Amino acid sequence: MTTASTTRERVSQRVPLWRDVIVLKWATQLFLLVAVLGTMWFLASQAGDNLRARNINTEFDFLERPVDIQISEGIDTHPDTGGRALWAAMVNTLRLSISGIFFASVLGVVVGLARLSDNWIVRRIATGWVEVLRNVPLLVQMVLIYSALTALPRVGLDTGPVNGWLHISNKGISMPRFFIADGFYQWAVVVLVGAVVGYFVRRHRQAVQDRTGAHASPPLWALGTVAAFGLIGLFVHPIFSWLGPVFGGVADVLDSIPNAVAQVVFAIISVGLAAAWIHRFISSRRSAIGHLSISDDDWFRIAFTALASLAVVVLIARWTGFSAWTLNSGRDLFEVMADKFDVNGAARPFDAMRPDIVQKGKFPNYGTNGLTMSLGFASVFFAVVFYTSAFIGENVRGGILAVPKGQTEAAKAVGLGRGQIIRHVVLPQALRVILPPTGNQYLNLTKNTSLAVAVGMSDMVQVGTTVFNQTGMTLPVVAIWMLFYLSCSLTISVIVNWFNVRMRLVER
Amino acid sequence: MTDMTPTEPTGNQTRDLSGARDMIVCENVSKWYGDFQALDGVSANIKEQEVVVVLGPSGSGKSTWIRCINRLEIHQEGRIVVDDVELTNDLRNIEKVRSEVGMVFQQFNLFPHLTILDNVTLAPIWVRKKPRAEAEAQAMALLERVGIPEQAQKYPGQLSGGQQQRVAIARALAMEPRIMLFDEPTSALDPEMIKEVLDVMKALALSGMTMMVVTHEMGFAKEVADRLFFMEGGQIVEQNTTEMFFSNPAEERTKLFLSQIL
Amino acid sequence: MSETSSATAAGSASGAPPPEVTRLPPRQWVKENLFSSPFSSALTIVTSIVLLAIARALLSFIFNPIRQWNSTATNMQLFFTRAYPDEQYIRVWFSLAVIIVLTSISMAVWRAGSSIPLARLGRKLLAGAALLLLLALLAPFSASATIQWTLAAACVAVIGEGVRRSASKGGAERTVSSLTVLVVTLAGLVASLWVVPYGHHTYIPSRQPRVLAESGTVALTTKLPWTIMLLIAVAAYLMGGVIRERLPVNPTRITLLILWLLAPPVLIYLVLRDPSFDMGHVISTDLPIFAAYALGGSVILSWLTRPSTGEAGRILAVTILVVGFCTFLTPMRMVVRLDMLLLAIFALAAPTFAGGPRNRKRYVLGWLGVLGVMSWLITAINTPSTVSVPGGFFIGGFSITLMVAVFTIVLSFPLGIALALARTSTMPIFRLLATWFIEFVRGVPLITILIFFSIMVPLFLPRGMHLGEVAAVVIGYVLFSSAYLAENVRGGLQSVTRGQHEAADAVGMTTAQKTLFIVLPQGLRVAIPPLVGHCIGVFKETSLLAIIGVFDVLYIGRIVIPGQTEFMGSTKENLLFVSVIYWIFAYQMSKASQRLEQRTGLGER
Repeated sequence: MTTASTTRERVSQRVPLWRDVIVLKWATQLFLLVAVLGTMWFLASQAGDNLRARNINTEFDFLERPVDIQISEGIDTHPDTGGRALWAAMVNTLRLSISGIFFASVLGVVVGLARLSDNWIVRRIATGWVEVLRNVPLLVQMVLIYSALTALPRVGLDTGPVNGWLHISNKGISMPRFFIADGFYQWAVVVLVGAVVGYFVRRHRQAVQDRTGAHASPPLWALGTVAAFGLIGLFVHPIFSWLGPVFGGVADVLDSIPNAVAQVVFAIISVGLAAAWIHRFISSRRSAIGHLSISDDDWFRIAFTALASLAVVVLIARWTGFSAWTLNSGRDLFEVMADKFDVNGAARPFDAMRPDIVQKGKFPNYGTNGLTMSLGFASVFFAVVFYTSAFIGENVRGGILAVPKGQTEAAKAVGLGRGQIIRHVVLPQALRVILPPTGNQYLNLTKNTSLAVAVGMSDMVQVGTTVFNQTGMTLPVVAIWMLFYLSCSLTISVIVNWFNVRMRLVER
Repeated sequence: MTDMTPTEPTGNQTRDLSGARDMIVCENVSKWYGDFQALDGVSANIKEQEVVVVLGPSGSGKSTWIRCINRLEIHQEGRIVVDDVELTNDLRNIEKVRSEVGMVFQQFNLFPHLTILDNVTLAPIWVRKKPRAEAEAQAMALLERVGIPEQAQKYPGQLSGGQQQRVAIARALAMEPRIMLFDEPTSALDPEMIKEVLDVMKALALSGMTMMVVTHEMGFAKEVADRLFFMEGGQIVEQNTTEMFFSNPAEERTKLFLSQIL
Repeated sequence: MSETSSATAAGSASGAPPPEVTRLPPRQWVKENLFSSPFSSALTIVTSIVLLAIARALLSFIFNPIRQWNSTATNMQLFFTRAYPDEQYIRVWFSLAVIIVLTSISMAVWRAGSSIPLARLGRKLLAGAALLLLLALLAPFSASATIQWTLAAACVAVIGEGVRRSASKGGAERTVSSLTVLVVTLAGLVASLWVVPYGHHTYIPSRQPRVLAESGTVALTTKLPWTIMLLIAVAAYLMGGVIRERLPVNPTRITLLILWLLAPPVLIYLVLRDPSFDMGHVISTDLPIFAAYALGGSVILSWLTRPSTGEAGRILAVTILVVGFCTFLTPMRMVVRLDMLLLAIFALAAPTFAGGPRNRKRYVLGWLGVLGVMSWLITAINTPSTVSVPGGFFIGGFSITLMVAVFTIVLSFPLGIALALARTSTMPIFRLLATWFIEFVRGVPLITILIFFSIMVPLFLPRGMHLGEVAAVVIGYVLFSSAYLAENVRGGLQSVTRGQHEAADAVGMTTAQKTLFIVLPQGLRVAIPPLVGHCIGVFKETSLLAIIGVFDVLYIGRIVIPGQTEFMGSTKENLLFVSVIYWIFAYQMSKASQRLEQRTGLGER
């Protein structure tokens, strides 16, 4: 039996290092970090040795060297450099993804509603659609569609379902093209101004509505303002042509800034951001009476932020190419902008052209006037749209079923109409369930367009493969792929998250 | 020494525990959650075989204090010494304290994927490294003690709340703890089930277990507790023997609390 | 109490079918489901016409005489095993038999199958008959073919009506086991091989003409093995019933699971690949290394699993791990390094499983088992095969599709669970690394990862070491799959309540014990539905191997067969066949997972 006083003396305050849980915790983590970094270093050094042994260097200069690549369709079918080829391929992938997302959403909503239809046949068709498409690999569907499309008739001079407007043949699908012309950028500035004005109009109408209680429909007013500006802008857009010289001036200024200044600015930004974050973090950990409690995890965050900013500084200092590149691309951007605004007053913002068929040599083929979808593009497009529509349809169905029946009944009980119920009660709640998984489907769709390589459509992966087959630059091309797809994923998740947050606001 | 042998019956008459050694010592224990101070310089000694009840309005830091004692929460200032072992970052001390302090939760927290028997034997087998047969025999004895030996092969979801809480007590006792902590053990129960749990706790107190109980059951406190603590705002406002606490509270805030609750 | 309800449902495991919906009389049903409103009526008429037109177009495509369906029939062997040599084909049948035996016994032990009301079965048969009749009428058949198909429809209708009538006989609703229906269907299919003149088609590359097409029933080398397979399946099921009754449940199930885990490597690397072991090398090198590790490891582990071994044990385990990593810095046999890492893993986990003599013996036996399997596998993979197949991997077609899918799923499970645990861990560096890896992999398409690995893995390896293209691609696929799997598992882990963690802490469990005994069992159970979905996805996306140039079923159907001079341009037929194969497997898997969900009540949380 000991007393309290002796207890105090017996307890030793020093904890041996190998028994201290905090020490153990961080030792384990550091060990893993070292192991992971070590493995990566080991693999990288192996790869470096092997690449040197095969006389392969990894530089990005292939982007500016000439290549011999034919692109199936898009902004440039015979690009002169590797970079231009990848750029054209990227545009193709983006076209596929964006149009695919749009049509897959529309079709998906139709499928989802059909799955819930009162009509037995419609319900069964939708179920069959979902069950077949979900359970056959996308790639198999894609090549099947491709092989079916190759059976289309040959292209002739006066053919197509609607001659001169729509042509469908084994060379692809050609239709009228609607495109942005020289005057577009000035017009866009007009619309931008319109958007700012519209924002204030909306605020004003909202205030009126709040004050008087009358239905002032602020969104409609805002939309109307923007539309009016757009319409007027079609005729008066040359008033913004003075922006061209302004941008040219900015480009000149950027060109005259020495690299060292940019380096210092970037370093200051990096360190400043880190310092601001650490300062905010520490003050958030301080209690009201000023007691500071920082756990070991918090220390890690602070140390990590500081280290990361230092790493950025070192990188900027050592790798002068980065700041130079930023300056140059900034200058290029403004030069391009200056170019775009430097057009004569008669330029139209938009233009359209009808498809044409030209005969070079023996066989007729589509000209460059129309919007032409190659068979590869069409098969990838239809495959991803059909495939994704099955998944989106299931999300839509699940979302609508997730709204409790009591909600509709309650809405009926307070006398809302059918449209009002859907608009104000069902949709807000269903969208909350539908959106997150549908955002995932958009991501999947974008990534799935990479299967285009199997049907010879020139997307990022197909062109990238050709580029590294010709130049041997595997690693840089893979790095470009990863960067491109990661930024696509990031963009889509940012947009979907933004909608998610808005949905949650609607709910409250 | 064994803690399972019943000693002289405790009632609401005060026992003389002045000669007993300190089982739990808290000195100036403080804890913050961000800006919120949950514990503000809590100091208390709890003797061996003593039964202590902690009272106080919700959010007063009762649960935080009791959870600091087996390091489910980590205190930031002050010292906590449990059975001569100080709670520090020492791995060995944490293991020792955890296996000597049993805890019963408000939400029972039984493992839903295991049978009742497995719930009780899991820790003895894997933490105490007991042979399975021995652990199962002990578990059956404990289930007998809490009055539900016939449920041994069922899953927690098939039991009533009161039965689940009794299993939770058996699970904690299976580790042969020297101290038992109860964190509002009856708050999540239907009224008709509260008694069966309190009866088990009373029997446990009679057997001489050192107990620290956070509860709103005044009847239990009057009948079993040796001492009462009243907490508010993370501080111990008043600590006193049961008799004195109810008959003659020293603090104004205690009086107010008692008038509201009784 | 929502967290405990699923366990209850899983514990009782009642496979009761949902209550039958009350059936309306036909006229009322048609009115309510097809013509409830003017809009609905219009919809019914329009969709029916469109549907019939599509069905007609599809049937005239399939039954068009210019279709080269014999290209599919002739190349059946190519589709499933590619160029596996005929004289060793018994190995393929043996592997299939092993899988069938395991499946049947497992079905018996886990009591798979449900009871189907006879009335429902009858109705399904009648619906099938109606479909057959529609097919007979819509397809561009000759008169005799139309009559044959109509007769078939009539037969099915008669059977269906008979079943329906017999269901209502007697007061109680009569039911039949779904397994009986399955066996009868399979028996019918196998019997048709002996009776129906499907024709005897083969493709013999060494002969002119290379294509053989005779009328009559299929070759004996096809129908005999399938008959035997059916008999084996039935026999194994019956045996499984005996096992279920006689042997204790849990050990049987664990044994079966281990057998399932061992089956893929054993079948592929021992049975199908048939390595010709160099006994001299095995005795001089492989066995001594194994023996040294077995002996040394057993001594170390039996010491480490003693409860009285304290921190010294942990220090020893970490030392072994460091030594394991250091072995990579010096030239050494790969086996020695891998065995060292394996030993380190076992040593680190030892305190978790410490206990009495029985526990320690079991742990050491586990070590010996895993070490044995790994050593043998490494030896087998490094031994040349006796099976001579021109170009590429020794199997191909659907078997490589299955192989890649199974290996990817099995290997990505431990990695995915580890990533999920790291991402939910309290340790920031673990969390950071896991998050970066997962988000990075999930951000890029599978095909770029496969291309990257098929090109880069040879570069990452030290000189003198080679890895087949299939292995390289599987590594990439495993990394890809594990990132997605980790997200599914993470969802499950997050559903384990804080109280469960605290209860485990309060009884003194270590983090490893808490994870292994409390968190993972609960979390994984919740994650079963998305995990099954993930497995189906992995199976479907093995088709991407065709882009890399692996001879999988899609590559054969799209490139190889249409490239044969006899079957130029038969792409559509073969692709249709490939999609049907994929569809059957994926659809059955998704149906099975839905049944599993209903049975365990997982979907209804």
